[in-house]
Amino acid sequence: MTGVAPDILTDLPWGQLLVNGLALGSLYALTAFGIVLIFKTTRVITFAQGETAMFSTFVAFTLLTALRLPFAVAFVLTILFAGLFGALIERVVLRRISTTTVLNPVIVTVGLSLILLGAAGWIWGYEIRTFPDPVVGPPFHLGTVVVSQLNALIFIVTLVLMTILFAFFRFSPTGIAMRAVAENRVAAQLMGISIGRMNALGWGMGTAMGAVTGMLIAPINYLDPGMMGDVALKAFAAAVLGGLTSLPGAVVGGLLLGVIDSVAGFEVAELRNTIAFALIVLVLVVRPGGLLGRHEIKKV
Amino acid sequence: MLLGWLRTRGRAVAPYGLGLAAVLVLPAALGVIPGVAPGYVLYLVSLALVYAIVAIGLGILIGHTGQISLGHAGFFAIGAYASALLTLRVGLPFVVAVLLAGSLSAAIGFLLGLPALRLSGPYLAVATLGFGLAIPQLVVWQGSWTGGSSGLHGLPLASLPLGAFTIELRTDQDYYYLAAAVLVMLTIFARNVVTSHTGRAFVAIRDSEIAARAMGVDLVRYKTTAFALSALYAGIAGGLYAHLLHGISPEDFTVLLSVDFLTMIVLGGLGSVGGALSGALLLTFLQNALTRLPVVHDFKNLYIVVLGAILILTIAFLPHGLAGVVRSVRQGSAARVRGGASRADQIVELGEGSGVR
Amino acid sequence: MSGPVLEIKGLTMSFGGLVAVDGVDLSVNSGEIVGLIGPNGAGKTTVFNCISRFYEPQRGTIRFKDRDITRARSHEIIRFGIARTFQNVELFRSMTTLENLLVGEHVVMRGGAIRDGLRLRGVGADEARARARADEILEYLGLADHRDSAVSTLPFRLQKLVELGRALVSHPALLLLDEPTAGADRHESQGLADLIRTMRERFDLSVLVVEHDMSFVMGLCDRLYVLDFGRRIAEGAPADVRRDPVVIEAYLGEPDLEVVDA
Repeated sequence: MTGVAPDILTDLPWGQLLVNGLALGSLYALTAFGIVLIFKTTRVITFAQGETAMFSTFVAFTLLTALRLPFAVAFVLTILFAGLFGALIERVVLRRISTTTVLNPVIVTVGLSLILLGAAGWIWGYEIRTFPDPVVGPPFHLGTVVVSQLNALIFIVTLVLMTILFAFFRFSPTGIAMRAVAENRVAAQLMGISIGRMNALGWGMGTAMGAVTGMLIAPINYLDPGMMGDVALKAFAAAVLGGLTSLPGAVVGGLLLGVIDSVAGFEVAELRNTIAFALIVLVLVVRPGGLLGRHEIKKV
Repeated sequence: MLLGWLRTRGRAVAPYGLGLAAVLVLPAALGVIPGVAPGYVLYLVSLALVYAIVAIGLGILIGHTGQISLGHAGFFAIGAYASALLTLRVGLPFVVAVLLAGSLSAAIGFLLGLPALRLSGPYLAVATLGFGLAIPQLVVWQGSWTGGSSGLHGLPLASLPLGAFTIELRTDQDYYYLAAAVLVMLTIFARNVVTSHTGRAFVAIRDSEIAARAMGVDLVRYKTTAFALSALYAGIAGGLYAHLLHGISPEDFTVLLSVDFLTMIVLGGLGSVGGALSGALLLTFLQNALTRLPVVHDFKNLYIVVLGAILILTIAFLPHGLAGVVRSVRQGSAARVRGGASRADQIVELGEGSGVR
Repeated sequence: MSGPVLEIKGLTMSFGGLVAVDGVDLSVNSGEIVGLIGPNGAGKTTVFNCISRFYEPQRGTIRFKDRDITRARSHEIIRFGIARTFQNVELFRSMTTLENLLVGEHVVMRGGAIRDGLRLRGVGADEARARARADEILEYLGLADHRDSAVSTLPFRLQKLVELGRALVSHPALLLLDEPTAGADRHESQGLADLIRTMRERFDLSVLVVEHDMSFVMGLCDRLYVLDFGRRIAEGAPADVRRDPVVIEAYLGEPDLEVVDA
């Protein structure tokens, strides 16, 4: 650029930035779904969502390359794997720890993410690989704005999943049971709901969600053990921003964060994370329960 | 201050006296053991002692006051960069630089404590995580005077003015004694705080904010104090770190370091000053040992997996960390002397009633 | 002091659409033991929480010893001279009995972290004085044997007593007791009533008590206020209030109503 400073209003390619932001935001939102799902049903904040997603994606990769399975088959098998993996994690790790303090699950899930990170590196190595793109075809052009087919797919998947999950938790007996367990254990138990089963289901679904996310992100971010790092962090922030029990909140938070990230990245690239987090702190201070969440006040 | 403390603490001082003796004797002992490079081991121990300072401060914030921070590497970085820049660019004497660095870190810790008043649990975790990520980013952004991604190097040798003459710190042994001395002072300070009405106020906040408020504990004041105190410790430690390594770069201060600090206090035992110390020592040596094992060449980042496993296993099986183990051993033998307390008492005594140490 | 120690006028507290306390007037005179009774959900504890400044009432004033404390900060209340206990015992569970009481004396300890950390002059003396006072209260309440026990190991009855001690230790002028007889049997309640009466003499206290147990309240209180659905429906001497038809109607159907002739 020459010596003239950019005029914010006219020189920024707003349309493209917005679209990029929404695309990026969808990634955050998708990842955030898993976090919100697990929190909504088990009241555990998992810092391991990115790594479980990454691990599942590597499994998909193995199915695709070593076993040469067609994409659709590999996709389904991976989701099944992830569901079982999540339930296993719940059974083996989470069930043994006391979740009375907030700190315990934080530490345990951080530990989990470290183990998965190291394990993935050990099993598959650290070279960066390409992951096949589920959709092939030229990008769409909307006026001056370019949208890749994959980004469009991601955006659609995000909205569809949000609707399905929202309906599931609102209207289906299982969904309501899962929420009940999280909000009032004793009452749920008295009604005959199995806490263990609901928790396992929650973790299974959340991890499966992560697998979907990973497989959609890998074509963009390439495949290596660190691929979900930045995304998971932002997704976390998005989930918190939207209010940890709100799925639509995760979408709002994710998209918002994506757009901010995109614009900030354009203007002050080195400070992307800083700006994003500063904004989140600001929002949380003003609305401690997140944008769409409910702030619980302890009754004395 | 030291004498008064010794007078009132009597028997409790004994283990610390032993520790102090061990600290003083170590360099000489190392020189005698064959096959060990005393300089390198001393450097490692110094590093562990510096980390221990952070751990003790963080322990007061997380263990005693019940807050959370996933970004303490940020305060560590602030201390390191402040002291490095003050000695390198401004030419301030070492001691002044470190004290100023610590104060700056404490002030920022106080500021971070303010939003923390509104946030708790996962929200606070995310906010502090963001803080920890932001600091190195800000350093790189202002690369023109912070040295950017390549960092700052060639820090002048630390020197301590003592009356008429100055001691220049050149060898590993010199830095070792410096780290040990600072750690001892800060440990005493921490123990004093923790066993005083301030320490009780911290624990009161952790156990029941409602009751704490009703008993006159000003949450604003004490939460920000806890943050500031933990930031002070991390800042001073950072200042020492910069000079121990003679140079720093943003990559020294990652999220993994914040997790390291967390692991140290979890392993050592939340709510225990001695625990923070042992956790730091253990973890630093573990990290170093793991990178030296022959098997490691196939297993890069073995340390990360071990760290993760330690976190999970400690929470699952040793929720009160190593300090909890020590405590139960002590109470177990005391109970045997007394004629055996009932089982119920013993089980509870392991965790409860041990909040204020 | 002859005027009211505590004076509440027109207190109104609502949560969203729900009005928990509606224009309540109440006062406690120096040396009185006043009871605040009413059916479940009548808003009694809410009144306490307004006094403690955990809630922000929409309307009304609270005056304590001629000082307007309606907008004071929650940690200042004990400093003014009001100490309380809680319906669900809010002890500091990781601490011992003694330590809990010591926190009760937080307001008399001088200085902050730096003073404590450096063990400056006066810290040791403050601490010793605080411990002596705490021991005195523990002795008075018969808790001396449990001085160094973890409070979480104590039976519920003793925990409530520790909470009482924690409130007493700060030399309060007004004691707010929230359902002190919860979980106590007839005999224990009687003992508690006697204790409160002697405490009033010994420590020169005024007491405001929220309660469900009618016979406890009848035997102990000088005056009663009755709340129902957030409103004050009766006030006066226990003997009068008990016969008030409005009060009886409010309690109709309440299983724990036992209007026994003393």
